Order: sequence, then C-alpha cells, then structure tokens
Amino acid sequence: MLVMKKLSKVYRTENIETHALRGFDIHVREGEFVAVTGPSGSGKTTFLNIAGLLEDFTSGEYHLDGQDVRGLGDVARSRLRNEKIGFIFQSFNLIPDLNLFHNVDVPLRYRGMSRGERRERIEASLAQVGLASRMKHYPAELSGGQQQRVAIARALAGGPRLLLADEPTGNLDSQMARSVLELLEEINSRGTTILMVTHDPELAARANRNVHIIDGQVSDLVHEPVLRAAAAPATATP
Amino acid sequence: MLAYYLALGLRHLRQSPILTGLIVVTLAVGVAASMSTLTVLRAMSGDPIPEKSDRLFTPNLDNRPDDGSSRDPRPPEMLTYRDAVALKNAKPGLRKSSVMRISPVIAPSRTDVKPFFGDGISVHADFFKMMDVPFVQGGPWSEADDARGNHVVVLRESMAEKLFGDAEPVGKTLHLDTYDATVTGVVSDAWEPVPRFYRLVSGPPPFRGVEDLFIPWSTAIANEMQPQGNVNCFTDPAPDAPPGYEGLKQSECIWVQFWVELASASDAPAYRDFLDGYVAEQRKLGRFPLPTNNKLFDVQGWLDVNKIVSKDTRLQTYLAFGFLLVCLVNCIGLLLAKFTARSGEIGVRRALGAPRRAIFKQYLVESGVVGLVGGAAGLGLTFASLWFLRKQSDEFAVLAKMDWMMLAITLVVAVVASLLAGILPTWRACQVQPALQLKSQ
Repeated sequence: MLVMKKLSKVYRTENIETHALRGFDIHVREGEFVAVTGPSGSGKTTFLNIAGLLEDFTSGEYHLDGQDVRGLGDVARSRLRNEKIGFIFQSFNLIPDLNLFHNVDVPLRYRGMSRGERRERIEASLAQVGLASRMKHYPAELSGGQQQRVAIARALAGGPRLLLADEPTGNLDSQMARSVLELLEEINSRGTTILMVTHDPELAARANRNVHIIDGQVSDLVHEPVLRAAAAPATATP
Repeated sequence: MLAYYLALGLRHLRQSPILTGLIVVTLAVGVAASMSTLTVLRAMSGDPIPEKSDRLFTPNLDNRPDDGSSRDPRPPEMLTYRDAVALKNAKPGLRKSSVMRISPVIAPSRTDVKPFFGDGISVHADFFKMMDVPFVQGGPWSEADDARGNHVVVLRESMAEKLFGDAEPVGKTLHLDTYDATVTGVVSDAWEPVPRFYRLVSGPPPFRGVEDLFIPWSTAIANEMQPQGNVNCFTDPAPDAPPGYEGLKQSECIWVQFWVELASASDAPAYRDFLDGYVAEQRKLGRFPLPTNNKLFDVQGWLDVNKIVSKDTRLQTYLAFGFLLVCLVNCIGLLLAKFTARSGEIGVRRALGAPRRAIFKQYLVESGVVGLVGGAAGLGLTFASLWFLRKQSDEFAVLAKMDWMMLAITLVVAVVASLLAGILPTWRACQVQPALQLKSQ
C-alpha cells in the first residue's frame, strides 16, 4: 500500500539544514493498522505529511498504492489525496461555518460526483459514525468526540484506501478516545489501511504493528513485548 | 463547481461581517464616485444620434474677406442665407435642412394662458426625418409647405398640452407673431438629443433647453423672423445693399446652421468636392476671396471641434477613477486580511483534495461575490449622487441620468474591480502550506 525507500526530508534555511527524515524505509501493507510513535521532533508528523502528499520529500522513493509519487504535479497529487487518502487530525479541522453535511461534502465536491451520489455517501458515512441525525448541526454544537467522529466520517466518505490519523485522540478525554479508537478499529476491520501517529502507548498497543521513529529514522516494533504487556490491562477496562 | 463556489461566496459574506462590510463600502464609494462622473462624461461625449451620426454633416464655408482681419484657420461655423439656400436647392445630399433659432410670440387661444415668447427653430421638412424626430400625433409639414412658406407649425408634446390642454392639437391654429399657423404634428417630449448638436452654435448651452415649436424655414424668412443667436458680419454692407431683412439675406453675414444627410459616410468626399466646386463658382462672382477652406464635419467631428466636453470634465473623471484605484488598493488589504484569517480552512480543503487552482477559483469567485454586493451598493450610491447632481443645475438635470448601459457598466466595473483586487489575496491563499496550517490549528 505504502512503500518508502531511503527517503529523506531536509528543511533548509539560510544557515541551517534540518534532517527531519533520513534513510527512512517503511513498507505498510494493505489492511494494516500501524501506530507510529516516537518522541516530539522525531519526524512523525513529517512522515505523515509526506505519506499524505501534503509535503514533498528531498530524496528517496515513495510509492503509494503502486504509484511512484515523485515528480507528480499539484493536480495529480491532489487527485491522489482525494481518491486514496483520508485524513484525521488532532484538532479535527472541521470548517466551522459549514454544517456536518457540508463538511463531509467537501472532499466529494473535488471528486466531481453527482449530487445524488454525494448525498448517499454523506448520509452513509455520518450514519457509520452515529451522527446521521445531526447532519444539519454545526461543529460548534458538538462535543470534541463528536467532532472527531465527523472528521472520521469526512475521511471515510470518499472511500479511501489509506487513513492517516495524526494524534486522533489527542484532544479527547479517555472515554471519547476509546470510542474513537474503536471506530478506527472497525474501519480497519473492513480493509482500510490506517497509519496513526500517537504518543499514547495504550493506543499504540491496539494497533497491528508499531513503528517507532527516532531522529528521523524508523525502527519497527511489531514484536515489542513491553508495549503489548502495557496495553493488555487497559483494553480490559470498560 | 461554479455554483458551489458561488454558494460558498454568499455564505462567507456573513462571516466576519465588519470586514466584509468595510470591503463593500470601500468598493461602493469608489464605484459611485467614478460612475457618477463617467455618467456625466458619457452623456456629454455620447453620440446623440448613433444610427446615422456618420451620415449627417454640417458644412462650413470660408467667406471671410481677404483683409487679414482673421487668422483663425477654421472657417465660420454658420452659413450666409444665400449659401444655405443654394446648398438646399443643390442636387447633392439625400436630405437637407437649414436651422435657425427663433423666438416668436405665441398667443394661445386659451384665455387662461397669456402670450409668451416661445423657443423654437425654423427648419426644412427634411429635418424631422434627418434627425429621426418621433411624433406622438400627426407629422411634419410637407415639402410643398416648405416651398410655399405655408403657415404650419409642429409643437413639442409639453407645449401642445400647455396650449391646448386635453384637446387634440393637430389641425388647430396657433397665433405666432403676426399670423395664424396650423398644427401638423406633435413631437414626443422624449426627443432630447444630448448634446443638441443641430443648433450647437450660439444660443443656449448644448445640454440645456428644448425646442417648443418648429416652423418652416421659408415661413420664418417670409415673416422676417429675427434669428436668435449670433449674426456675424465680416464686411460692411455694400453701398447699394437693400436695407433691413432683405439686406441681411443678401449680406455676407453668417447666421444659418445647415445640415445635410448623405446616403452613406463614403459619400462625404464627393460632397466636399461639390462644396469646393460651389465655392469656386461663387468666387467667379466676386465672393470667397480667401483660398478655398471648406470643412465638412460629421456629428462627432462637429462635437469635437466645438469642444463640447471640457478639459475640467475629463480631469474630474480621471480623478474619480484615481479614487476608485485607491479604494481598490484598500480592498486588496481588506481581502488579504479576510482570506488570511481562513488559512486553516484552505489547508483543510487542500488536504481533502483541492488543487491550488480550485482554491484560486473559489476565492476569486468569492471576491466577485463581494464585488457584486459592492456593485449593488455602489449602484445605489451612484443613483443618489446623480439625483443630487440633477438638483444642482438644469444642465446636470439633463446629463446626470443613469441608463441601462451605465447600469450594466457600473456592475461590470464593480465586479471587475473586485476581481482585480482579489487576485493578490487569492494568489496568497493558494500558497498556503496545508501541512503547516493543519498542525497549527
């Protein structure tokens, strides 16, 4: 689904070169639920932005769903983002002056779908997150957890193959966080690949696979026993 | 997507209402200032008879004496009686008419209206067709009336109402100076060519006053009506010249304005040749001592040479458009502030699949929507300022009128101005880095 080889990202200013990612290798298979962890400034968000085609990389290779994305123009990258990727952000990033229906409608508008198909998808995705009855409401009228559910509905509406979540529960209390995570797991169980950046070991433990980033380099922690063990009692708590 | 962008534009009008209101007011004031002055300038410099202004001509013949008394290269602006009669009787020209302003005493048959001086012109029957004069009742007099100098008259609609009330005026008689004239037709009040190009020389200003009545040229001459306006004589009367009106007719004094309609604009050179030939013939009779210096002006040329639009008026218009430019610069700043406040939304849209050009279109349409609202407000302000101008003088009462064309121009100017003002803020909006915005929200 997502393959990066020897990928690097360098931010240059007049005097300083900052290597956000260096020799970054990762292969995420279709249907995986990958948690990306690492200390602040390690390059997690840069990785996610590059994976989501929101930023370009300096060198290396990146194939998304078999397509080499290097050198793609703005229109092609935007189309790939629109068709293959869904985003979930820590601060939800809903558009405040659009109601839920129109918020979820945003990515579908750029796909050029008919009105009927858009309506169908919007209603289905809002129903999937349990907010079908509130589609006329505005984001400010919802709780944080509900807003994140709307953001998930928006990400799902376009039927993405890859869901990128950047600290999706970072602004939520534990109960809401659990509910959002369960929703992500349900989505993943239907075949959508999920890449989730998180600081929370409990959340990371519930992923199929953990990827730890330190100093812009990846270390795969799929068999890390400590995280697994730490996660066990948490999952048992209702 | 255009409908979507329009809907978003309308929705965002309500967002940050103070900023939006400032943009609308700034745009409206600039549009109103420029459109008010442009309306006046357009009325002044407009084509008073667009269907045939390139086929209507007024000839100027240089009959000045060769005594060095005048160094003005332009020939006199009017004709002598003799030349006007000769040009009327000559073959070239589809239609021809002399024009002389008159002010006969009108004695109404109604006892409740006292006699008064009327403002009018004496013309040939051709005049009405040449100038496309619309009649609401009856019609012009005949060429036979012209030839015989019959006592007939055409009235303006408002004058007919004043003289005859609700009664049918056509066929009724009206006492003018020393004779009774029969009304043959009533001209619509709507006929108000701006400027009054057919009687531009001397008399009332070109943007003011209307003719109350029209009488045949030959009738005015036969009744020795005095021309209202300038009578310019370049030489003393000949010792054997008859006295009085007959002397004026035979003199080299100029007092007749003359118009000729040609079949097409391309006939103008041939008519110039005819004028040159006429002057050459007259020179053999001892007239036209100066080298041939004939001019033939079409309507626009005649307005230009008479400098109908003053430099001040043009300067005012330039200044008003300069003010619009200042308003636009302010709008750019305000739009920048408005769009910058929505960087987060732009980042979200980019992340969700909007290419830069989609953002560009969305925000440019939004600028256009603001422009439309500003244009509508500007239109209201323009109407108000034109109303105010019309109250200032009779001249402005004629000039400061909004027509459909100006209305359309006003809206187009407002939208184009707002689109221009929106280009920089929109371009800046397109440069938003989604990754930065999404993390910083």
